[in-house]
Amino acid sequence: MIELNHDHLVFSFPEVHPSAKLTIEFQRTLRIPDDDKIYPLPPGLGNFPLRHVDDFSSKVPDEWIEHGGIMLPMYQSEALWLRFNPGHVQNRGDYPFAIRVLTGKIDAVNGQEYSSGLQRNPSQNYVVSPGQPWLDGYCIRKGLIRQFVAMPLGEGYTAEEQVTGSAEHGGLQLVVNPMKREAFEKHFPEKKPRANVDYEEDCNLPGRPRSTLMGQLLRQRDVMGLAPGGKMKQEIYRDRYDFLDWDHDTSSRCFVHIANSKVWHDVTGAAPPTMPPTAERYSRAGLPWFDYYDDSLSAIKSQEPLENLVSVDKMMQKTFGQALSGNKSCDPEVVVTYRTQQGKKDQVREGNF
Amino acid sequence: MFFRFNNDLSRTIVDNVEYVVYATHMSNFGSFIRERREHLQTRDRARFSLRRIAQTIDIEPSYLSKIERGQQPPPGEETIVALATQLEVDPDVLLALAGKVSRDLQLIIRTRPVLFAEVIRQLRDMPDHAVLRVVREVRDGNW
Repeated sequence: MIELNHDHLVFSFPEVHPSAKLTIEFQRTLRIPDDDKIYPLPPGLGNFPLRHVDDFSSKVPDEWIEHGGIMLPMYQSEALWLRFNPGHVQNRGDYPFAIRVLTGKIDAVNGQEYSSGLQRNPSQNYVVSPGQPWLDGYCIRKGLIRQFVAMPLGEGYTAEEQVTGSAEHGGLQLVVNPMKREAFEKHFPEKKPRANVDYEEDCNLPGRPRSTLMGQLLRQRDVMGLAPGGKMKQEIYRDRYDFLDWDHDTSSRCFVHIANSKVWHDVTGAAPPTMPPTAERYSRAGLPWFDYYDDSLSAIKSQEPLENLVSVDKMMQKTFGQALSGNKSCDPEVVVTYRTQQGKKDQVREGNF
Repeated sequence: MFFRFNNDLSRTIVDNVEYVVYATHMSNFGSFIRERREHLQTRDRARFSLRRIAQTIDIEPSYLSKIERGQQPPPGEETIVALATQLEVDPDVLLALAGKVSRDLQLIIRTRPVLFAEVIRQLRDMPDHAVLRVVREVRDGNW
């Protein structure tokens, strides 16, 4: 089952294990300059508000209701990153999940169009948490991504449009598979005896009835997709488990629709978050950027559809002859480095002041 | 707020169910947080020391000590929520132990007071598994 809890998206698989829970956060962040320089990881500026699309059925496109799921607001050319937080099983460890992240139904890891199921060969189409704490963009080279940046669907910028040539889906799609319980218990043997926590089976709720009002406030131009922005150093790690360790018969999926922040208040009655600062202003203020390494994991290689993506700024210059606003280069001077190793105590080091 | 990780890099998030059960057997806010903190100290002595926790949530160690010993009433909502994060406990559990209801819940109730008061009364004696059926799922549709 999937729930919204304080703007966190929580995937639970109580039928697999009572602690098989994965929380996904959608973090606001600054957009890194789209200037061919390679930047460290930008900060999190708090969670995007998340809402059930069913609660605003009279104000969102019919397709959104058909897709189900949730929605969040983003300004044009605003960036986001995803944070994965797996549930912890006392005396064993964090419960592992295979997570597929797609934008406009294009896989952000291997660039393939959506089809059901996990895939490891010829290319891995998922990330593994714990291990992959965040995902900030499309894998365009080994150890290098292009940041997720919101752009209006239908103007040619989104990864979906660049790969398929059509602007059909937009938004972001998540599919989560838990590890099989027996595989989890094999990889994470109990460190000391402990009483089991009872849990109750969750039940489905019937869907809310659709409103008959069809006066849609959210028009097609307010529907956003994700496009490739500036380059960032981030490794997407190879799955270190056996492929059969994953529960291929159990998965949950969620369609995350993106509405232009300009119409968020009209649709939901709530103000959207403010516009993040530019990377240049943020850096000038001496605020920190981040780096992350896991020495025990190896990074996957990129795949052709994503390697060939054209960034928002490049496409804007090509199409309209104008540069992306707020795209001034910057030199991050304060970089906080996290270095971790699975199974060992995490270490933090600050460097590159 | 500029963060990537929380303070705890290992992100050990415990199963809140355990602490909901635990909390219902504890009537005293101070003794609950003290026992919880001391339990966590078995994992990391320094990080969960009284002084370190107090510093992290920006209160005086002597004040936290008095709260733990029941010599001071529970602190305000913001401090309780910060304390809950540090002690890896659901904030609503700590707020309930302190006899408080979070501001967001108060706002929700105030928008439809009669309806929500009735809902809560109706749910009062229902078993947990039945109450959990009311938790709303995110609906999946046709992609």
